[in-house]
Amino acid sequence: MCPTCHTTLDQSDAPAAQRIKHFIAQRIDQCATAGQIKSELVANFGAAILAAPPHKGLDLLAWWLPIAGLLGGALLLAFGVWRWSRSRVPEPEPPLDPETDARVDEVLAEWE
Amino acid sequence: MTRALQATALVAVAGLFVLLVWRLTHQSHPPKIGGPAPAFTAKRLIGSGTIDLASLRGKPVVLNFFASWCEPCKAEAKVLEDAARQYGNRVVFLGVDYHDVTGDGRRFLSAHDITYPTVQDGSGMIGDRYGLTGVPETYFIDARGRLVGEHIKGTVAHQQHAFFDGIKAALKP
Repeated sequence: MCPTCHTTLDQSDAPAAQRIKHFIAQRIDQCATAGQIKSELVANFGAAILAAPPHKGLDLLAWWLPIAGLLGGALLLAFGVWRWSRSRVPEPEPPLDPETDARVDEVLAEWE
Repeated sequence: MTRALQATALVAVAGLFVLLVWRLTHQSHPPKIGGPAPAFTAKRLIGSGTIDLASLRGKPVVLNFFASWCEPCKAEAKVLEDAARQYGNRVVFLGVDYHDVTGDGRRFLSAHDITYPTVQDGSGMIGDRYGLTGVPETYFIDARGRLVGEHIKGTVAHQQHAFFDGIKAALKP
């Protein structure tokens, strides 16, 4: 990352970014590995120079929290859908008590 | 179950609120003139070991933030070095190499014959504490460790009046 403009080096033409690109090119010419170059940059500029956080310690949260959030959201959504679909099934009505049943029969008989 | 969902949402909102408060209270604010100069300990750019600003207490300090990739910094290097030689032991000049590749910073000092001590601030942590808006910037600290004078944004080569006034303010007992 460009330390002054906080974009990736390939997107930045800031003087600081240009110097870092030059440093990386120099180290590649000297056959330094990607790991070595990254370590040297971190030693020089701190971990914020990396575009992605390392896979260790508290930085792991940056990798796993979004996944946990997505999974949690999906579970909540699934639970909500399940509850909604259950609430739409009409429950069977309880049978009428014999007295009311007889009264209904009487009324119906009057109409017929 | 609905209660559990409500509780989860409440905890999530409370968590976000705590994060917001933490972010607001941990933002770096530029130091005030007359207030204490933000403390730091940093690695020397040349040689080994560190320099602790607190260890310079008792002497006025001219604190200059620069970088090798900064063109105006090249223009002011001679003014700073000449002033450092002129004031000798009466004033400590301290360079802070900001967001720079170490090798480039060393070459800068060599190319401009800078003899006063310089520390590295590759991560920009010291610059953040001082609320730096860019380089070069120069601060003046008196013997009691307070920021004095008017801090100079941009090259001191074009603001020499303010620069020497700042040194005089730092020299005041």
